[in-house]
Amino acid sequence: MSSDYRLALDNCIKCSICVSHCPVARVTDQFAGPKQNGPDLERFRLEEPAAVHPSVGYCTNCKGCDVVCPSGVAVSAMNCRARGEYVSMHGAPLRDKILARVDRMGRAARLAPSLVNRLAGLRPLRLLAEKMLGISAAMIMPRYAQKTFLELYKPQNVGDTGRKVLYYPGCYVNYNAPEVGLALAEVLAHNNIRVEVEQFDCCGLPLIANGLLDTARDQAKKNLAKLQGYINRGYDIVTTCPSCHLTLRQEYRELFQLNTDPLHEKMLDVFEYLSVLLQQGKLVTRFEELPLQVGYHRPCHLKAAGCGVPSREILQLIPGLRVADLDAGCCGLAGTYGFKKEKYAISQAIGRNVFNAVKELGVRQAISECGMCQLQIHHLTGVAVYHPLQVLAQACGHGKWLAK
Amino acid sequence: MNKYTDVLIIGAGLSGLMAAAKAAEQGKKVMLVAKGMGAVGLSSGCIDLWGYNLEDPNQVCQDPLAEIARLCAVNPQHPYARVRDVLEESLLFFRRVCQENGYPYLDHRGGNWLLPTALGTLRPTYLAPASMALGDLQQVRGVLVVGFRELKDFYPDVLAANLKKSGVLQANCPLNTLMVCAGGGELTPNTLAHRLENPVVVDRIVDQIKPHLLPGAVLLLPPVLGERWDSQVAKNLAEKLGHPVYEVANIPPALPGQRLQQMLLHHVKGRGVEVVIGCTVNGARVADKRCTEVLATGAGKPIKISAKTVILATGSFLGGGLESKPGKAWESIFRLPVETGHEKWSARDFLSMAGHLFNQMGIKVNEHLRPVDKTGEVIIENVMVTGANLAGCNHPIEKCGNGVAVASGYKAGKLAGEVGE
Repeated sequence: MSSDYRLALDNCIKCSICVSHCPVARVTDQFAGPKQNGPDLERFRLEEPAAVHPSVGYCTNCKGCDVVCPSGVAVSAMNCRARGEYVSMHGAPLRDKILARVDRMGRAARLAPSLVNRLAGLRPLRLLAEKMLGISAAMIMPRYAQKTFLELYKPQNVGDTGRKVLYYPGCYVNYNAPEVGLALAEVLAHNNIRVEVEQFDCCGLPLIANGLLDTARDQAKKNLAKLQGYINRGYDIVTTCPSCHLTLRQEYRELFQLNTDPLHEKMLDVFEYLSVLLQQGKLVTRFEELPLQVGYHRPCHLKAAGCGVPSREILQLIPGLRVADLDAGCCGLAGTYGFKKEKYAISQAIGRNVFNAVKELGVRQAISECGMCQLQIHHLTGVAVYHPLQVLAQACGHGKWLAK
Repeated sequence: MNKYTDVLIIGAGLSGLMAAAKAAEQGKKVMLVAKGMGAVGLSSGCIDLWGYNLEDPNQVCQDPLAEIARLCAVNPQHPYARVRDVLEESLLFFRRVCQENGYPYLDHRGGNWLLPTALGTLRPTYLAPASMALGDLQQVRGVLVVGFRELKDFYPDVLAANLKKSGVLQANCPLNTLMVCAGGGELTPNTLAHRLENPVVVDRIVDQIKPHLLPGAVLLLPPVLGERWDSQVAKNLAEKLGHPVYEVANIPPALPGQRLQQMLLHHVKGRGVEVVIGCTVNGARVADKRCTEVLATGAGKPIKISAKTVILATGSFLGGGLESKPGKAWESIFRLPVETGHEKWSARDFLSMAGHLFNQMGIKVNEHLRPVDKTGEVIIENVMVTGANLAGCNHPIEKCGNGVAVASGYKAGKLAGEVGE
């Protein structure tokens, strides 16, 4: 389906399925909803780009509207463009400009990660940040790792399978959760595959979600050129973050009209990659028993990728492991959204279903592919939350991947 | 990306979900792929089997199962004629699934319920969720219709005026209306339902309603009592008021259809079905009358799915299962033929009692739900067709859409479950 078709207004038949599945519209009347901010107002914007309702800022960009639309309308892309238009006209608050640059924050934090982590937990400072900037004092901040993934990663000596894999770690893994990238390297080494790494720009999703489309477009072009170079040299590219994955593959095309076709066959969620190995009979399925019950939360951007739950098939191979689907919808954090003072309560209200599901299932550990979902689930419920790769690496046998 | 499964279901509407539930119960590996959320979320949430008498479309049908038996004799092309052998067991299966998930569907002693709509008309239906199952309006000793100031598209006075005209209530039955406030703002059914999940809000509403309650009265409300199928809002409200509370059918997107959809999705996921929504199937490879794989796209990325059995539950024109251009219609994935006839596709009157021809268009199937050509020859052997994809049903007039979906989805799932290794 071409972007033009997905954007075509006339495909929207006003059935309101998107509204009824919108996690934000469900809990607040401050958001006019995906249909109104998307296709309804888009008609006016064709003539008058200024016809943007400020409530478009309440969209979390979860992309649930795209997923449920039976007519294939890219509702969220219209919302994103509209927000970009709004921000280009009215400017973005300093707070949004800061939150949108997770790569810069990560680089800055590297100077003294422990200090940053301590300061980020100090109540008076948080209250000050809330008052001065509008960053919620109630939301926990992601902790910065002592060393980045790129600093920690050491290529392992493995047998030659002829497979060339480049890993796109994304900012969160690089600066905050290097253990996920290391778990990936461990799992692939278990399969005699060596991982190449490289310094990339942020995929740009936080910029897109905050309406800073021009900067995001520049980064998109740089990233695509770099990725294309690896594809030309016969590499498969794997990701572990559903949001990076979706942004690189779909948002670059839908929002910036960049050609992402070369990525379609070559860029895979790491569990898709492992599934391909499994299908070819080349996955090493020697796993240690893991007597655990975990709750699984499916990130919205993984849903939006339309590829199911790639981790499911692989995790089923681990003896003793029981994975219960939380089936609770959006966690509500939506990247930078839940950190904003005026949106924190909305984000918590959306996440209520996740809280209920964890309590109902009585699980003490949860897994989810998205770093931000992990943070929110931990914040909501207090349970330990891991990337499914950490569980898989644990089952591969070396190291303590589940000890946090 | 390639995927393999025993049973692939395309479409997340009622028939697709029924097929998934049944095939999974029989131990098959099941994958359900859909472009968007199926149309059951736009339905009333009730299971209509057969609404009116065959000979007299103004008379409500008293015994839908018997009427369907007669229908199959006079109209062997109707989808019910292909699924009659499993019709009753499919309904039992549906009710068992609902019961297991704590969302019971009730029947009306084998006949049709006659349930009020938001317009105050009465609609016949065979199975209704407990929150809608208002027994017999003739026995009611008082009605209070409650609306919400914040909610558009529900007008208690309209409901009350038309209900009075219908003559179904006893002459001396008091019929009052009341507008309550759920805390201000402008709300959609979903936002209001979310707000009502808060017991404090319910208490405030109870306080507003109580002074207006007459002894023996039942309450009619718009279908906003709870977001999820496992919600207790309707029950709590009834308990606090000490009067029975019912939701009436309203225009989409109404919660009862969404709750049914959520519940069935939850059920099939819990039974191990891999559900992928937001993934469009746009084509298929067929060799020697067998579908070897279907070609799908998720967020622009191609996915090939191979399955022993494929169940086509993509719906009609609205759901995108059928496509058309002037004078021609076809099924969108396998390009299965759709007969259009030579007449006009629509009747002159929008609300024509003869119905519109385009509603009857669809795919012809044999008794195993396999698609057949004009001569009755099977076109693809490992594909089965269900729900609104089937030809020959005039559901807006006959009131049988969800009934056909339940029975055909169940049958396809059952047959797929019997396919050997």
